[in-house]
Amino acid sequence: MPVRRLISSLIVLSTAAIADDFSAKATPLLSKYCYDCHGAEKQKGGIETHHLTSIEAAFRHHRFLENIAEQVESGEMPPDDEDLLPTDAERRMLVDEIRSVLKKLETGDFPKNAGRTTVRRLNRNEYNYTVRDLFGIDFLPGREFPADGAGGEGFDNVGDSMFVQPALLEKYIAAAKKIVASLYDNPVQLDRILVVKTSEKVTPVQAARATLLTHASLAFRRRVTDEDLAPMLALFEKKTAAGESFAEALRPAFQALLIHPAFLFRIEADQPGKTEWKIDDFELATRLSYFLWASMPDRRLLKLADEGKLSEPATLRAEALRMLADPRSESLSRHFAGQWLGFDELREVAAPDPVRFPSFTPTLRFAMYRESVEFFNHLIRNNRPVLELIHADYTFANAELATHYGIPGVSGSQLQRITLTDPNRGGIIGQASVLTTTSMPLRTSPVKRGKWILDTILGTPPPPPPPDAGVLPGDDKSTEGLSFRDMLEVHRTKASCAGCHEKIDPLGFGLENFDAIGRWRTRDANGAPIDSRAILPGDIIFSTPKELKDLLLSSDELFLRNISRKMLAYALGRPLEYYDEAVVTDLVSELRKNDLEIQSLILSVITSHPFQHRSAKR
Amino acid sequence: MANLQSQKWLMPRRSFLRGAGATLALPFLDAMRPLMAAGSSSSLPIRIALLYMPNGVRPDRWTPEGDGSRFKLSPILSPLEKHREDLLVLTGLQNKASFTGDGHYVKTGGWLTGTTITKTTGSDIAAGGISMDQIAAQQIGRNTKLPSLELGTEPVATGVDTNVNYTRLYASHISWKTSTVPLPCEINPRVAFDRLFRTRSKGSEKQAADDQSVLDLVSQDAKRLQSKLGSSDRAKLEQYLESVREVERRIEAEANLLGAGENLAPDLLAKMDELDQRISRAMGKASREEELNSMPRFDHGEHCRIMMDLMVLAFWSDSTRVSSFMFGNDVTGRNFSFLEGVNGGHHDLSHHSNDGTKLDQYERINRWHVEQYGYMLDRMKEIKEGDGSLLDTSMVAFGSPIRDGNAHDPKNVPIVVAGGSKAGLKTGKHMVYDEGTPLCGLWISMLETAGVKANQLGDANDGLRGIA
Repeated sequence: MPVRRLISSLIVLSTAAIADDFSAKATPLLSKYCYDCHGAEKQKGGIETHHLTSIEAAFRHHRFLENIAEQVESGEMPPDDEDLLPTDAERRMLVDEIRSVLKKLETGDFPKNAGRTTVRRLNRNEYNYTVRDLFGIDFLPGREFPADGAGGEGFDNVGDSMFVQPALLEKYIAAAKKIVASLYDNPVQLDRILVVKTSEKVTPVQAARATLLTHASLAFRRRVTDEDLAPMLALFEKKTAAGESFAEALRPAFQALLIHPAFLFRIEADQPGKTEWKIDDFELATRLSYFLWASMPDRRLLKLADEGKLSEPATLRAEALRMLADPRSESLSRHFAGQWLGFDELREVAAPDPVRFPSFTPTLRFAMYRESVEFFNHLIRNNRPVLELIHADYTFANAELATHYGIPGVSGSQLQRITLTDPNRGGIIGQASVLTTTSMPLRTSPVKRGKWILDTILGTPPPPPPPDAGVLPGDDKSTEGLSFRDMLEVHRTKASCAGCHEKIDPLGFGLENFDAIGRWRTRDANGAPIDSRAILPGDIIFSTPKELKDLLLSSDELFLRNISRKMLAYALGRPLEYYDEAVVTDLVSELRKNDLEIQSLILSVITSHPFQHRSAKR
Repeated sequence: MANLQSQKWLMPRRSFLRGAGATLALPFLDAMRPLMAAGSSSSLPIRIALLYMPNGVRPDRWTPEGDGSRFKLSPILSPLEKHREDLLVLTGLQNKASFTGDGHYVKTGGWLTGTTITKTTGSDIAAGGISMDQIAAQQIGRNTKLPSLELGTEPVATGVDTNVNYTRLYASHISWKTSTVPLPCEINPRVAFDRLFRTRSKGSEKQAADDQSVLDLVSQDAKRLQSKLGSSDRAKLEQYLESVREVERRIEAEANLLGAGENLAPDLLAKMDELDQRISRAMGKASREEELNSMPRFDHGEHCRIMMDLMVLAFWSDSTRVSSFMFGNDVTGRNFSFLEGVNGGHHDLSHHSNDGTKLDQYERINRWHVEQYGYMLDRMKEIKEGDGSLLDTSMVAFGSPIRDGNAHDPKNVPIVVAGGSKAGLKTGKHMVYDEGTPLCGLWISMLETAGVKANQLGDANDGLRGIA
């Protein structure tokens, strides 16, 4: 078969064509020493190395690289009991190659790419906020939509992980009817949305056209064409011919607007023939408003877009600041920070045991959630440094939450800003929302808290435990005379566990003075004194939350990189790719130049290349 | 749905509407010779239900002793004793495509597809194939109001599992309409009830016509927009269009039903009323509207049983013939301390480290799930259909895609099927297969028994021997 041979020779050629330093030096070593446990057959610890066949492939799998380099450098991998171990020179070469790839990533030593976001459907929250801003509907008609799955960096606004299944479309249809019915049932509302009425000078078709033009422009977030309007007008005329009143004849057209693909999806046009282009002003307005408000652009933004002014740097900056000052920017706190830091889970997932923790009432749950939201709101509105997330000398509490924290002198059910005198409490790490969502129903979990710090705060998730690692009892009320910490220490003496847990657990031990719902305690569930001594590898010793926070503050690069990465991913609504790492580097250096002010990070994201551009390929 | 209109009823009868806008599909009454399911040898429709239990089983307490028809149910399966003659316990099955990847997501995502899911944090979610229930829905779902019904108890797990780099979405979906379209479970019983039984109100013909013209409009526009997009964006719009078409089919089916006159069995109606009230009681809200809009947060057992009752009524009324139910999402941490002798979360206890007290709790959680399954079988057995029961024409599978949760062991998965004797399933047996026999062989057997063509699925080209 000559044809087949030709094809196979092409395949060989194309593989040979991507030969580079990495594939020449690193790949053979990986193949020789790592594939057995981290290759196509087995992927111990979730690590696979058989994909790393070129520098391009190494770029794409960059998240595992530093981990691999560290393990190889320290001699932890390959494990000593392997028959075949690399020489010191081989170790050096592999580590150097990996590090040089990482360096290239950080400095952007590769062709620039703006990336390509898959068309995004409005998620459940965005739907609610959008109909609120479109029609003044505040009854959250999207509440019964199923939760949206998340992708990329863990946010639920990623186009790839959102679908329109028949059941969801049925819910869209029902919600559209409900929304339109509520508008129609209220004469004031109805009068407001029928923007042009019929009169001697205005025919019903003209009035309908003007009305639909207004609402379609807002709903589609762009200029509307005759092609867009014609089907809706045809429907109007059909109903009119059937004897319906002007308003009634418009009803199905309104319903159509609310299930229309141009409303439900944030469509960005392709520009044929180009590999990359600047998005237009309407697309920019939409990206901006869903980033900062999780909702549609307001009339002012659309007007600026219509005039082609929004993309002017000074205008864009002024608009972004205006939007941040608007209450709608709370969506950043609720959905960006809530999903990133995990306190969103407090709303539905967290389940402290009601018998063990009777003070965990629904109102306390709500106050905990609001504390984190108000705190993040405060950072944004007052342009506070992002490191206040790690430590701050204030927080927000009402009487119930303040009592929970043991802080006197706060009254009322409204949250208010309070000054903290205890240096252990301030910052997100000392907030009950996070302390509760990183605990088990009946006890604290130093492992979960440690993982939260490594993963959520520093962006360096530990590998998964081996499946047979076992777990500790769900309750820390021990009857065997061992403290919970003792049990954890015994548990992690297993060689297969110690490597990771010596990095994870101490971070959690340092927070042991906070109980499973975030109260300060000096004794554990068995009445024994809390042992919060923590020793990290490298003899880093601490024993209080304050000392842990000081450590994090003294070495802030990982945190700054992580918040920048998360913010960029949330804004773009797509998983970050290797070519975004250089953008993240720029975001961090801008942030440092601007005294770590959170607004400067938000503005840098908005002016970043990927936020303002779109590529033909991702 | 022309065939519905052309049906000749043995006993045509005009239904009465109960409550405001109650709407019901066709029940299968003895007196009314029902529709012939396409390709089925039976005159009664054949149904398929798939019940998913997360986090595996205690391995030494699952498998029955003995094989063939002489077997003794294991401790975990003991609650099914009275259904023994309706059971097929299957030992030795596995889904080879789930051996790779991580310990959970790959197993759950591919349970009904027999494929390997794509490892992704979200950019290219794919199961690798369509799930067996959706193959059935494509073929026997066309004759019913809903092609299939997906139910569950926990919201879609959100976020990314950064330990293993899979989107958690995989943990919450077993039904895949296509390789790239997961079907979410409805978890609110009120929403599911209304979707099944209360969709029309008076004047609904006019409403249906309006719905049709609105859907016409948006589907034309979607096609127009689609032509301007790149391929991945086009695929998203195609999904939208496919959903529009399916809803259109449903509206048409309902209009035809209305035209043909609704046929309600009084005992079915009574059961619906009962369930309707039970949902309200369980949810404890002030109004129906609140029920529709609330996060179901009540007794987990009652939640599961209500969802199973919804499946039973959906089958009985022939509103659908295919349904899946997830007792929980994979890796669920649900606190099972409500069970006597259990103190902890489901996933945690599944990693028992062979510790005796944890194994015991794990087993109690497993047995509790089997008891709920038994509840569903009880209900189906009580409902008479033809000269047998609803269970006789329904194949109800229950299982988990991993065996020992402690090791995420994907071999010899726990799986049992009940019912289907009138469809041709040979029940009352414990079948022991050679190690490595494809689980997909069972799925093929179930599909073929329901009259669904399925030549190949995952690693299987044939059904299992000795069961159909």
